Amino acid sequence: MKISLNHLKTYVDINVSVEELCDKMVMAGFEVESIEKQGENLVNVVAARILEITPHENSDHLQICQMDVGGKAPVQIVTGAQNISEGDLVPAALHDSHLPNGMHIMAGKLRGVESNGMLCSGEELCLTDADYEGASVYGIMILHGDHAPGTDMREVLGLDDYIIDFKITANRPDCNCFLGVAKEVSVVLGTTYNPPVPQYSVKGERITDYIDVKVENYDLCPRYIGRVVRNLRIKPSPVWMQKAITSSGMRPINNIVDITNFVMLETGQPMHAFNYDDLANKQIIVRNAVAGESITTIDGKEYNLSEDMLVIADGEKPSCLAGIMGGKESEIEDDTKNLFLESAKFRRDNIRHTGRALGIRTEASGRFEKGVDIINVEFAMERALQLIEELDAGDIIDGTLDRNSGLPEDRIITTTVKDVLALLGVDIPEEKVVNILNSLGLETTLENGILTSKIPSIRDDIEGRADLAEEVMRIYGYDHIIGTPMRGTVVRGTKLPERIKCDKIKSLLCGMGAFEIATYSFISSSAIDTLKLSAEDERRKTIKIINPLGDEYSTLRTQLITSMLTVLSTNINRKIENGRFYEISKRFVPKALPLTEQPLELNTMSIGVYGKDEEFFTLKGIIEEIMKLFGAHTQYERSNEPYLHPGRQALVKANNKAVAVFGEVHPITAAEYDIEQRVYVAEIKLDVLFSIEKRKTTYKPLPKFPAVERDFAMLCDREIPVGALEKAIISGGSRLLEKIELFDVYEGSQISEGKKSVAYSIWLRSAEGTLTDEQIESTCNRIIKKLEEAGAQLRSK
Amino acid sequence: MKEQIELIVAAAKKAVDEASDEKQIDEIRVKYLGKKGELTALLKQMGSLSAEERPIMGQMVNEAKAKLEEIVGAKQIQLKEKATELKLKAEQIDITMPAKEAKVGKLHPLNTVLNDMIDIFQSMGFDVLDGPEVETDHYNFECLNVPADHPARDMQDTFYLADNLLLRTQTSAAQIRTMENRKPPIRIICPGRVFRADEVDATHSPVFHQIEGLVVDKNVTMCDLKGVLEQFAKEIYGADTKVKFRPSFFPFTEPSVEVDVTCSECGGKGCRVCKGSGWIEILGAGMVHPNVLRSCGIDPEVYSGFAFGIGLDRLTTTRYKISDIRLLFENDKRFLDQF
Repeated sequence: MKISLNHLKTYVDINVSVEELCDKMVMAGFEVESIEKQGENLVNVVAARILEITPHENSDHLQICQMDVGGKAPVQIVTGAQNISEGDLVPAALHDSHLPNGMHIMAGKLRGVESNGMLCSGEELCLTDADYEGASVYGIMILHGDHAPGTDMREVLGLDDYIIDFKITANRPDCNCFLGVAKEVSVVLGTTYNPPVPQYSVKGERITDYIDVKVENYDLCPRYIGRVVRNLRIKPSPVWMQKAITSSGMRPINNIVDITNFVMLETGQPMHAFNYDDLANKQIIVRNAVAGESITTIDGKEYNLSEDMLVIADGEKPSCLAGIMGGKESEIEDDTKNLFLESAKFRRDNIRHTGRALGIRTEASGRFEKGVDIINVEFAMERALQLIEELDAGDIIDGTLDRNSGLPEDRIITTTVKDVLALLGVDIPEEKVVNILNSLGLETTLENGILTSKIPSIRDDIEGRADLAEEVMRIYGYDHIIGTPMRGTVVRGTKLPERIKCDKIKSLLCGMGAFEIATYSFISSSAIDTLKLSAEDERRKTIKIINPLGDEYSTLRTQLITSMLTVLSTNINRKIENGRFYEISKRFVPKALPLTEQPLELNTMSIGVYGKDEEFFTLKGIIEEIMKLFGAHTQYERSNEPYLHPGRQALVKANNKAVAVFGEVHPITAAEYDIEQRVYVAEIKLDVLFSIEKRKTTYKPLPKFPAVERDFAMLCDREIPVGALEKAIISGGSRLLEKIELFDVYEGSQISEGKKSVAYSIWLRSAEGTLTDEQIESTCNRIIKKLEEAGAQLRSK
Repeated sequence: MKEQIELIVAAAKKAVDEASDEKQIDEIRVKYLGKKGELTALLKQMGSLSAEERPIMGQMVNEAKAKLEEIVGAKQIQLKEKATELKLKAEQIDITMPAKEAKVGKLHPLNTVLNDMIDIFQSMGFDVLDGPEVETDHYNFECLNVPADHPARDMQDTFYLADNLLLRTQTSAAQIRTMENRKPPIRIICPGRVFRADEVDATHSPVFHQIEGLVVDKNVTMCDLKGVLEQFAKEIYGADTKVKFRPSFFPFTEPSVEVDVTCSECGGKGCRVCKGSGWIEILGAGMVHPNVLRSCGIDPEVYSGFAFGIGLDRLTTTRYKISDIRLLFENDKRFLDQF
């Protein structure tokens, strides 16, 4: 809500500086978005007298002016304007000056002739006739009055005002207007509030002879007031009104339109003016649109209406889109003779829906959406009529057509001062509480400890004692609230087990050199296609946002791989040589599609690694550490994720539950992300991992007796996975086997075709004593036997 | 013979003095003290002495032997120390050479800051909870005193997934779920991801993070709210930090306040960071609206409470002076490595 300080002063006494006023208003709940000092963007522009005009030799339209700018010597300025004469006083922007339209003027040459500034038009100074008579002329603005050359233009224009932009919170639509703000200012400063008191005289004729008003839908239009004004005398409105309107960001049109806009800005109640003579059958009907109806609004656009939209119709057709925009046909024009004036309350959600559906938002519809007061509807009409008389804009016909379904009584809240203050924890004298509430227009009495407040309909945000507490506190001052330390038995708060587990994984991953990333929960609708999943894959069953910010952010993710690939791609393409990343977030799994209930939100982790030291097995190492953290018994099986290299991927089972998939990214998928090198990703279902019951860690005694190390080199078919050999060694070594380590796998010239050589070191140890040769011998023989069963032949021992 | 001993000892002493490495010392030891050494040779000559002289001479030789051994031993230690010293000196390295990188990752800056906050609130007795990111209209709006036609719905543009399902616009929804499931006294925080239909730019993101706090008990007042927030602000911004309440509006609290803290950059004097005001807005808070308590089955005549919502992203960007919120979601390793 932008408001001119000078105009605000016509309603309320302001005895403090603009800064102090704004500080106090902020502390009363009215944030100040900006304070704009008028003329702030008009710098180094002065009134200057034209001493001499000579033509420019190299131009048929440029003229060279010698200007008296108040200094000793004249200043030469070249202009293209033709409406000037020697002796004229004009605005001159000197070297290094700033204009309100954003221009920065510097000395220079125009077709070879030196020019030390610019003579200004009204438009360049952002002025119209409303601001300064003659400013709208085509050409240079000629100044009138007697100003010494060199006088700053801000002084010439009388720019001594401030425009304050107050941010009005959604609970205070009553302050979206001059009077609402003025009332608050008066309470905050403790000064007198002088709202206008509407008075006007009427012509003897009766309104009922002119028009009939009918409301068919009181639900959407609880109150509608109509008046008729004859013999319009349309002309520009006075400068004070134009200034008030432009200060608040609207444009002056003519006296009638300006009065409706001014009253809206002043009272918060939008008004609408109809050309009476264009109303068919002299009827106003407030009704829902009929299917197939359309309207052309004053901006010339045609809208097709649906039955849930409210219109103000004449006897034949919609004449106005209720509360949003008037119709072209009944628009007020310069030759309009008679006026039908409307002030009404429309239901706010209906206005919002209609506005959204048609894509229109106006000053009026914005106010109806926030809510207007049903009582204020009448005050606004009275005020408009007062201004019509004051501006001699027409003859007011006697009689008001006021259609409503009943007006509300003031609501009564009864409570006690103690209960009000209980929420605040501050001691405020009872009398002070009563005074504050009264000053805010909430008629309040205190009798026998009972506080009774009458709440006018314009403050329908006040429902109970909590609201009264806020009203009292914001005026009494929040700096009176003194912090008290936490009371009651304080014990350290708890964390959910999932959070604790996630924290553990995160510190493990950070310790392994991985960086935690954060990516959006939604991805593009096509991102999932980069994984080349089959049509039936569950991960394709995604939840779509109905109103996304574009396709890029339209789909809730069912996996974290695509986001991880995007991050790997970003880093790779920025020439970062290597990286380890992880993310813990949620995957959204719908229970049914279309969505009928909240989806499952499952904790999921992704890992991504790349760089010269990374390979399938470094990622496997990371996975193994995570599995160890949860004491999981881990198995690896071949998997077939289409987005992973078919020969370099694995499914991880923890205690026989599928918990993760990892591997090298398929080059086709990688290419979708502009990745040309090998990258490795994993996705871990933390919800599954967390469900594993972790055994308690108990200490194992350190070995007392020495271990025996033996190496086994063997030959087997290359298809046999080393995992199978490992299994054989473990089963053969049984309880004496302490550790096995694969130290060589070889395929090549010394080995027959289709075979590979595999070599292990194994350590045997007993907790009971030093191993005897017999024990070692028999264990090794058992291992060899098991290896043979698994298809491996010992090469040497 | 006595003279002979003295001569040998003198010669040996001289040789020891002149020795400059361990090898020479070894040679000296062999020459004088070894089995075929000069002193040993003297002992062998004792057969030619009288019975009276023999023990006296034997003693003299042994004493000389012991003395020489001591001298040789001392010199040996001295030379060993010297050799070590020389070796270490030769091994000097350029300590300004680059380190061999210890590979350590980092938490995302958002979570580093979040963990600090969780720690502070946990120590004040707040349980840390979690809530669903896909919420029902009921929990995200209705229960929070924002009915369908309420103008406050315009304050937050919501992503809808179905008629009554949406991506939560605030962690406040978790308040309701908590109050439905726990009875007062309640003291919780709920950190989480929230969503609003804001176009992406340097200061806006459709995905961001909040920490919701809620306390419900008998006789809870705004002074208690201020006390908790002061404690929080002091731990996050330093012991001298002051807290200021400014009236504001949220549908789910009444009274509602915006909370400012003294600018940590200038200490409240006014600077570029705080735009000259000396204060920085960090969160919104208020007393839980009676309608909200009621909708969760808590009698507002018996209990009162306060709630606050802290923007984690903003806190993170101000702490590290990150100029563009998009950097948080871009995940450039060089960025992530800075925190």
